[in-house]
Amino acid sequence: MKILKYTIALLLSITIASCSSDDDGNTEDLTGQTGDLILKFDNGVGDQDFIFGTTYTKDNGETYQLETLKYLISNVSLTDSDGNVYTYPAEDNIFIVSEANGNTAGEIYITLEDVDAANYTQVTFGIGIDQERYASGADGQGDFLTTAQDEGMMWSWATGYRFMRFDGTYTSETETDAALNIHMGSVGTAIDNYKETTLTFPNEVLVREGNEPSVHIKADIAQVFDGVTSVSFDDGYAQVHTDETTTGVIATNMSGIFSVHHVHND
Amino acid sequence: MKKIVLITLAVVSVLSCSKSSNTEVYVPVYLNVEQPANFPEMGYNLDNNPVTEAGFELGKSLFYDGKLSANDAIPCAFCHEQAFAFTHHEHTVSHGVNGGIGTRNAQPIQNLAYQSEFMWDGAATHLDFQPIIPLTSEVEMGETLSNVLSKLSADAYYQKQFPKAFEDGEINSENMLKALSQFMLMMVSSNSKYDKYVRSEDGVVLTEIELDGLNTFQNKCATCHATDLFTDHSYRNNGLSINPKLDDKGRYDIFEDPADLYKFKVPSLRNVELSLPYMHDGRFSTLEAVLNFYDSGMTDNGNVDQAFNREDGSLGITLSDYEKESIIAFLYTLTDNEFLTDDRFSEY
Repeated sequence: MKILKYTIALLLSITIASCSSDDDGNTEDLTGQTGDLILKFDNGVGDQDFIFGTTYTKDNGETYQLETLKYLISNVSLTDSDGNVYTYPAEDNIFIVSEANGNTAGEIYITLEDVDAANYTQVTFGIGIDQERYASGADGQGDFLTTAQDEGMMWSWATGYRFMRFDGTYTSETETDAALNIHMGSVGTAIDNYKETTLTFPNEVLVREGNEPSVHIKADIAQVFDGVTSVSFDDGYAQVHTDETTTGVIATNMSGIFSVHHVHND
Repeated sequence: MKKIVLITLAVVSVLSCSKSSNTEVYVPVYLNVEQPANFPEMGYNLDNNPVTEAGFELGKSLFYDGKLSANDAIPCAFCHEQAFAFTHHEHTVSHGVNGGIGTRNAQPIQNLAYQSEFMWDGAATHLDFQPIIPLTSEVEMGETLSNVLSKLSADAYYQKQFPKAFEDGEINSENMLKALSQFMLMMVSSNSKYDKYVRSEDGVVLTEIELDGLNTFQNKCATCHATDLFTDHSYRNNGLSINPKLDDKGRYDIFEDPADLYKFKVPSLRNVELSLPYMHDGRFSTLEAVLNFYDSGMTDNGNVDQAFNREDGSLGITLSDYEKESIIAFLYTLTDNEFLTDDRFSEY
């Protein structure tokens, strides 16, 4: 019994010590330690949650509803409080965020495993596939090509990835329930629509062995259509596939839809 | 006693089993992908996918295996026959699973290592990705990657061959596509009469009519059919009349750019004697028909390449009868029998 008390006291003091060491810098030795980190993607439209089949209204009055909402995330890296950058292993660093795979709260989990332990201050990721990965061919893709094809995230008429897939219908002054298909991607080396975004955390994310911190990332779908540029479905943006102009505008808008709402350090 | 023998036998067979599976380890024996002296530099990055004996063998097995198609009966080789420079002999367009009919003429598989875009419209921008198109096309092989991989995973040969070919041994899309690339990278046709002539090998000389043809070719055809690959890798509209049944818009389908309407890749002319029929839809069955078309059959479909503009405003390349005859004599010197009969690429 006494031993147990001592042990608890000892553990407590260790915890306190490690807490305090967090505060005054990097005296805590994290060498070789790894932990998991969850990125929770939460799709919304302005101040509403995103729900399949629900009608949303754009700035110009056009309305839309979606049956498919997916996008590709890759090249996730994390920056710690000392400015060191940790990049997730390349062969696993590509994910499909699909609303259909969300939990009842509409959150899609991406779990990064065996991340170097550190106090992270920001996350950077790309939307889509960069030119370097395209140029590597099948090398380093493992079975992701198969996964992407099963998820409908590959073109059927050419070889390449759809960076996003929004399928549904829209209604405007001139159209009623017309087809809406936003399938933006890069086309070979000729059209490069890969873009990266960096999000700063409101407080440090502590990755430690046995801990599973999470980052709640909000994706505002409204900004895909009313972002840096406001687009009109009636004006060429109901079908976005390979056109250089429309895919570029959507890619730029898409890179601005993400923000970190909060983090959990459990 | 009988029991002991049985047990001994059982132990031996268990041991031998484990031994045989232990021999299926990754011991790469590298193969050299040729760089012929008269060819442009290789476009494929071999560092990402070095060719090995086991990888090449695996790729060859996949190439000739119907399992890659929905009905297990249409391998890649169905439309790519070696004797005809890996084209679909005498087929304008090809047929695939469930009676599906394609819209384009099967292209030869040769010298792909020196190119970086594939298909008539350049739809594949990496050799590794090219097989995905026919494999998943509903009118060709009609499959999905995941279904093909589950068939391969259940096959004893592939269970052994993938670990021999790749260090991680996985039967996945990466390794399947890499193996197919390894097989195709080795398919180099560079030993035609013409090659030996330009490289001054074995004292090979061209006849007078072949030389005349080469001269005319260089003056009138080599703008597009450039280098010793006989293509500048560009996409051009060569003034074919539009076949309303196909209404194939060519490269336009890739970027939806009106400037790309009816453009198709300038094909290589190697082994052209045997890769008939010609053009993206196989409309011409002889080289005479092709040259007659360029001389007097082109139509203005609205976007014809300027290389075909004559001074009088008409379209075409003026060719006399002798020029046609000699160009064809020259084109026959591009036939590479060593390649067309090379056992390394043969099914049996």
